[in-house]
Amino acid sequence: MTWLTWRQFRAQAFTAIAAMAVFAVLLAATGPHLASLYATSGISGCRANSCEHLASNFLQQLYAAGTYWVLYLLGVVIILLTPALIGLFWGAPLIARELETGTSALAWNQSITRARWLAVKLTLTGLGAMALAEGLSLMQAWWAAPIGRAVGHGAGGSNLAMGRFSSLVFATHGITPLGYAAFAFTLGVTAGALIRRTVPAMAVTLAIFAAAQIAMPLWIRPHLFPAHHTVIPVSSLESISLQQGGLNGRSFALGAENLPGQPGAWLLSSGAVNAAVHPVSTTPAACTTQSVENGTPAFLDCLNSHGIREAVSYQPASRYWAFQWTEAAIYLALALALAGYCFRRLGRRLS
Amino acid sequence: MTAVIETGSLGKRYRRLWALSDCTLSVPAGHVVGLVGPNGAGKTTLLSLATGMLLPTTGTIEVLGGRPAAGQAQLARVGYLAQDAPVYAGLSVAEHLRLGARLNPGWDAGLARSRVERLDLDAGQKAGTLSGGQRAQLALTLAVAKRPELLILDEPVASLDPLARREFLQDLMEATAEQGLSVVLSSHLVGDLERVCDYLIVLVGSRVRLAGPLEELLAGHHLLSGPRRDPRSLPDSMQVISASHTDVQSTLLVRTSGPVLDPAWMVSEVALEDLVLGYMSQATGRGRRNHLEVQR
Repeated sequence: MTWLTWRQFRAQAFTAIAAMAVFAVLLAATGPHLASLYATSGISGCRANSCEHLASNFLQQLYAAGTYWVLYLLGVVIILLTPALIGLFWGAPLIARELETGTSALAWNQSITRARWLAVKLTLTGLGAMALAEGLSLMQAWWAAPIGRAVGHGAGGSNLAMGRFSSLVFATHGITPLGYAAFAFTLGVTAGALIRRTVPAMAVTLAIFAAAQIAMPLWIRPHLFPAHHTVIPVSSLESISLQQGGLNGRSFALGAENLPGQPGAWLLSSGAVNAAVHPVSTTPAACTTQSVENGTPAFLDCLNSHGIREAVSYQPASRYWAFQWTEAAIYLALALALAGYCFRRLGRRLS
Repeated sequence: MTAVIETGSLGKRYRRLWALSDCTLSVPAGHVVGLVGPNGAGKTTLLSLATGMLLPTTGTIEVLGGRPAAGQAQLARVGYLAQDAPVYAGLSVAEHLRLGARLNPGWDAGLARSRVERLDLDAGQKAGTLSGGQRAQLALTLAVAKRPELLILDEPVASLDPLARREFLQDLMEATAEQGLSVVLSSHLVGDLERVCDYLIVLVGSRVRLAGPLEELLAGHHLLSGPRRDPRSLPDSMQVISASHTDVQSTLLVRTSGPVLDPAWMVSEVALEDLVLGYMSQATGRGRRNHLEVQR
């Protein structure tokens, strides 16, 4: 059965290996230079107060150079798309193609049970899928390590300055790609077993996987662990987004972009609150645009003096791996459940 | 000897439609069984149930005393050639044999090789480029070389031209005789079965209409022709299967255990085709309509 699985899978395997090789060459050709840029940027020997500045400069320099930004984005896109492609081209046809061409009647009438047939196919192809996704992710992680370190030093002000919790980085690093690959693959297999036709099964696989990948960062991931809540003085905010509206700036919205004392924390929500910790959006009369003419710092001071503080809910940076493991575990559990369903389905009927 | 296929009130429903209903059969071992019936009669359903590709909606089915596809041992005992002889288009002939060898503990490599050589199949050729006849032969080779006790073939010759059809059946008969296996073979073409079968099952409209050893069935049926008359005037020992009438003449297919003594009838032997067509028309109601006309 191993032989047949490999024989039927080898064309896809070679394609995957070739794609992986191209990706590796691309990264290997540019990675060392990226590392040398980091080495000469002076970040590694920086003192506390200069680090952030040096790191920001480094990222801005990279972004301006174009190539690295494009490569970084390309890597992210490839890693995000790989599980979907695996589900489409490895998962969906696994059973559906056999049913469509009638070869299931050939395969399932050899002296080997359908359960065994499926077990070997799912295991070998599934492991291949996980290896591919995780392999690509590790390569990218190696290549992008200098960027990650710069972000870790608090670099900002560039498109490259994405924290570890940002959707794109979180989903392409660590062990989540492994879980996505396993899930997408078994999703494809299940869709194929249910729909019995390859192309519609591919469409359904893509739709469900895309929906899952959108729902996860938006609605599920932030709540995997109970968020921390804190209320801090407005004046202690380091990086903010401020919107003022209404006549004379009667209303305002103040968002925190990072949390002092919690570098790398994942900010879920933030907003101004009054002394009773109720959200406020009405500017105190004394702080309207007319009254405060010295710009943002003066405005913040004014808010501060009127007892307005910033409430922030966040996930501390130390939870990064807990999030990674939990999310990967969720996807792996889904994959196992789908695989279990396929076994039941194949045992019960199908011809 | 146990039955190769034993069913009890077996039924299979697809959504609302019964593809097979109330099928009770006991097919003894050592026969080449012809399963005949028009398209859509339930032949493929019955064979799919026998190979475990489908599960019954009602009733029971045992193949060689075991539940179809129940395990590796059961699978090894039954060879199946599905309709249209599916093979992997991207795999070569040699790779198909390798597949058979890998997946069947009882694989007879010598038999497989000699068959492929005798059939003049190019080992390196992709199965997708084989002709219909060659593909059927390759699929049969896979089914035979696993050394089953029972070989189930679903319309194996339907897509073949007459010459390939004859060669295939001849080859099948040789393999059957050499290995002493039981065969169940479905077809909607009666002519194919005449040469090879010694046991007949007629399946029409999802029901088994007739089953038994071919010789007994042929001996137990007669074709009567004579002046037009009401079939009901026949003695009770004769069961009218089908009747056709012209203005002056009636032709009846009757089932009876004894000889036909009435001198008014001209009695002739039935051929397989008369038998099958007679039961098919009975089931579709054509026979009954004629019957009513006579009553008028």
